[in-house]
Amino acid sequence: MLRMLDRLEEILIATLIALATVIIFVSVAHRYSLGFVAGLIGFGRSHDMMWLADGAKATYLSLRQINLVWAQELCIIFFVWMAKFGAAYGVRTGIHVGIDVLINRLDNRWRNSFILFGLACGAFFTGIIGALGARFVWDIAHTTSTSVDLEVPMWIVYLAIPLGSFLMCFRFLQVAVHYARTGELPHHDHGHVDGVDDDAAASAIAASPLTPKER
Amino acid sequence: MSASFIFGGLIALMLTGMPISIALGLTVLAFLFTMTSVPLDTVALKLFTGIEKFEIMAIPFFILAGNFLTHGGVARRMINFATDMVGHWYGGLGLAGVIACALFAAVSGSSPATVVAIGSVILPAMVRQGFPKEFGAGIITTSGALGILIPPSIVMVMYSVATSGMLAIGPDGKEVSSASVGQLFMAGVVPGLMLATLLGLTTWYRARKFDYPRLPKASWDQRLMSFRKAVWGLLLIVIVIGGIYTGAFTPTEAAAMSAVYAFVIAVFVYRDMSLKDVPKVLLASANMSAMLLYIITNAILFSFLMTHENIPQALGEWMVSTGLSWWMFLIMVNIILLAAGNFMEPSSIVLIMAPILFPVAVRLGIDPVHFGIMIVVNMEVGMCHPPVGLNLYVASGITKMGITDLTVAVMPWLMTMLGFLLLVTYVPEISLALPRLLGMM
Amino acid sequence: DDPIVIKFSHVVAPGTPKGRGADKFKELAEKYTNGKVTVEVYPNSQLYKDKEELEALQLGAVQMLAPSLAKFGPLGVKDFEVFDLPYIFPNYGALHRVTKGPIGKELFEKLADKGITGLAYWDNGFKIMSANSPLHMPDDFLGLKMRIQSSKVLEAEMNDLGAVPQVMAFSEVYQALQTGVVDGTENPPSNMYTQKMNEVQKHATISNHGYLGYAVIVNKKFWDGLPDDIRGELTKAMDEATDYANGIAKEENDKALEAMKAAGTTEFHEMTDDERAAWVTALKPVRDQMSDRIGADLIKKVEYAAGSS
Ligand code: NA
Ligand code: NA
Repeated sequence: MLRMLDRLEEILIATLIALATVIIFVSVAHRYSLGFVAGLIGFGRSHDMMWLADGAKATYLSLRQINLVWAQELCIIFFVWMAKFGAAYGVRTGIHVGIDVLINRLDNRWRNSFILFGLACGAFFTGIIGALGARFVWDIAHTTSTSVDLEVPMWIVYLAIPLGSFLMCFRFLQVAVHYARTGELPHHDHGHVDGVDDDAAASAIAASPLTPKER
Repeated sequence: MSASFIFGGLIALMLTGMPISIALGLTVLAFLFTMTSVPLDTVALKLFTGIEKFEIMAIPFFILAGNFLTHGGVARRMINFATDMVGHWYGGLGLAGVIACALFAAVSGSSPATVVAIGSVILPAMVRQGFPKEFGAGIITTSGALGILIPPSIVMVMYSVATSGMLAIGPDGKEVSSASVGQLFMAGVVPGLMLATLLGLTTWYRARKFDYPRLPKASWDQRLMSFRKAVWGLLLIVIVIGGIYTGAFTPTEAAAMSAVYAFVIAVFVYRDMSLKDVPKVLLASANMSAMLLYIITNAILFSFLMTHENIPQALGEWMVSTGLSWWMFLIMVNIILLAAGNFMEPSSIVLIMAPILFPVAVRLGIDPVHFGIMIVVNMEVGMCHPPVGLNLYVASGITKMGITDLTVAVMPWLMTMLGFLLLVTYVPEISLALPRLLGMM
Repeated sequence: DDPIVIKFSHVVAPGTPKGRGADKFKELAEKYTNGKVTVEVYPNSQLYKDKEELEALQLGAVQMLAPSLAKFGPLGVKDFEVFDLPYIFPNYGALHRVTKGPIGKELFEKLADKGITGLAYWDNGFKIMSANSPLHMPDDFLGLKMRIQSSKVLEAEMNDLGAVPQVMAFSEVYQALQTGVVDGTENPPSNMYTQKMNEVQKHATISNHGYLGYAVIVNKKFWDGLPDDIRGELTKAMDEATDYANGIAKEENDKALEAMKAAGTTEFHEMTDDERAAWVTALKPVRDQMSDRIGADLIKKVEYAAGSS
């Protein structure tokens, strides 16, 4: 069950970043092909090649049938959703950076309490945001607001806030419980991509005397 | 009064080691709840709309592109090309490292990515060739920082986003608009090349002084071949910088295009990565982007609170009334940012400090673009000194050197960077000449 | 007693007609109510951005706004998109017959169940078309990438002219025009001038093809909860501020056009009657294409009142 949630979270955010990239790529390509074909029309007209001008104009008009004005809006919505769910995934992978220089110098007992306090604050904040977000979405769901280009109901768009925040809250609690039991925190190696190669950089950071060690 | 409450709360929460984003969010929530009549639902709204901007979307795109490049063999080919060009000079591989970092910086938006991509290949090679490891560590730690100065740059995007739409009034009482991503990118080119040259000179000078090993001179055939192998990666420079300058794309579109291009190069041209690795790269990029976007949302919430309480304006009034001159202000900014660089990562520093400092800078007549470049150079220095500095972490790990040794090793290049920081701070033309020449401002 | 605070947030600079109108309202409102009301004006989207201000008003985080009329479509009141239709108002007189007459009032009434009360219509002005190539006849638009605000009507307008509509944030437009990411755009002269777009546009046609305007709105619960006498004084202040704002809007547009002509970086083209007729013919279909969204009846009524059918 939990494993499935983990996988779902990963698939969702990886898919969103990929789709957003493809959408922008396609819309730029579309804009350029339109510009190119319009150039052909002009070329055809000025060189008295009406067959070229007419053919290009037909192509232009059919290309223009494809409407991609909504691409930017969809890209933004995808990225905001990716950000909200990715932030929850980030708690699980320990990517959210804090200033741990000071507490790393404290003795173990104090350090443990500060870490647990930080995790509790994370759960508290995201829990409140989840609740506020849920109320907000509820209010918006009773209006007729839609997004500008796609005209999707706004409450669906905003749903990322409560869902993402509650998931993040759950992740903070999960990490806190795990830490209380085992004393282990998830630790993120910046610049490391799991399993893509036997990453020199990741092992370098892990081996670095500057990297704070788990105690 | 409210300012001391806000900053006191924020600093106290941050020092407990909790994520910076959570510390920002909790401070805002606590203040709004206890001291204002702002409906709390606004917070939920702001957490969505805060990043609902197309300019911000350049960040995930550049991170994705960077990850494809780092793991797709682009870095290795750039190093080979740079080595064939300058390997026979004093400093050989070290000089090649500086140049490879500068080349990679021109396709990647982040400094750690640059250190990782170039350092992990070239540092072991240098040690094997008989360079002292201090030498290599010093070069890569500092040259890797070029990643955020030479465009594209994630930190520049953040500065532009953090200050956009702020009400900043110049000394003549006229409103001054904030710097755009495109202006900042172009403004970073000259300082970036200049710093690369200075770091290269430092490397060359020290190598000559201590008579470090040099490589045999590569033949022109060999150079041509390594250029042809590297050319697919180098072309990305044309796509990003050329694309923005010629108007082919907006900066965000250029970022998306470079992500697609980097994917094609890594998977289909160089084939150092297979299709089944792609989901992992996507996930790692999404993870990093989401973390940055989460800090951005909370930082935007925080600057909403400050605007609501009128803090940047009040600070500006106060500084102007004390008769602070622009050059004293800039020195102060340098000191504050360097101090912050001891504890925090560049993105958090820029997001928290830029909205506070920006109106004051403009008030004192400092150009928004120049101010942005100065902040970026400050961030670069901050990444190269302990206790917090990702560039250092990577270099120390590869060389297995401790803090003290490494700090000593980095010193000559760090001094060069500090000198360069002063130069950029007090000679605005270094940053502004190119965007002006291109008619962008 | 503590004064009643009205937070008035808008997204433009204080020196623009809308910004000066807001300041005028502040001055008059505070004077007429003898300081029982304080108006805090927040210009430049300082507190709430373009995309979030309507929600902030509905939540009660701000009391007063002046969004552009196109913003009400996404709220579910697409009737306001009638103002975006090309060539539906031949001149200011026709426009004010609509905004100050029964149609203007009826439109405001549709906002009530969104928790919004409409107080006044403020003009920005009539738009002119600019690009880096001459735009004399509709055929000149072929293949041009034209920047618009997100809006179905404006999208249809650019499509019918043969251009490629591009949605883009206002803050990005200058650079996009300069580098050529987009070829042209439409603006009232005052916006074009204050955003320095004349520096990066070689040609402009004084087409006056469309209207850009704002509605001053308040949170309904807040407004209805005010004491009657205070609401009366505020209404009086708003009426005077409206006359003031509309007066300077026209003046600013005329001045901006003169200033841009003097600057000489843009060639301004006055339309001939034939050209104007060709544009009207090309753009007339927009009304049919949009009649399902906006309502054919409303379009008819506006056409009749404005004398543009
Ligand atoms: Na870079
Ligand atoms: Na540092």
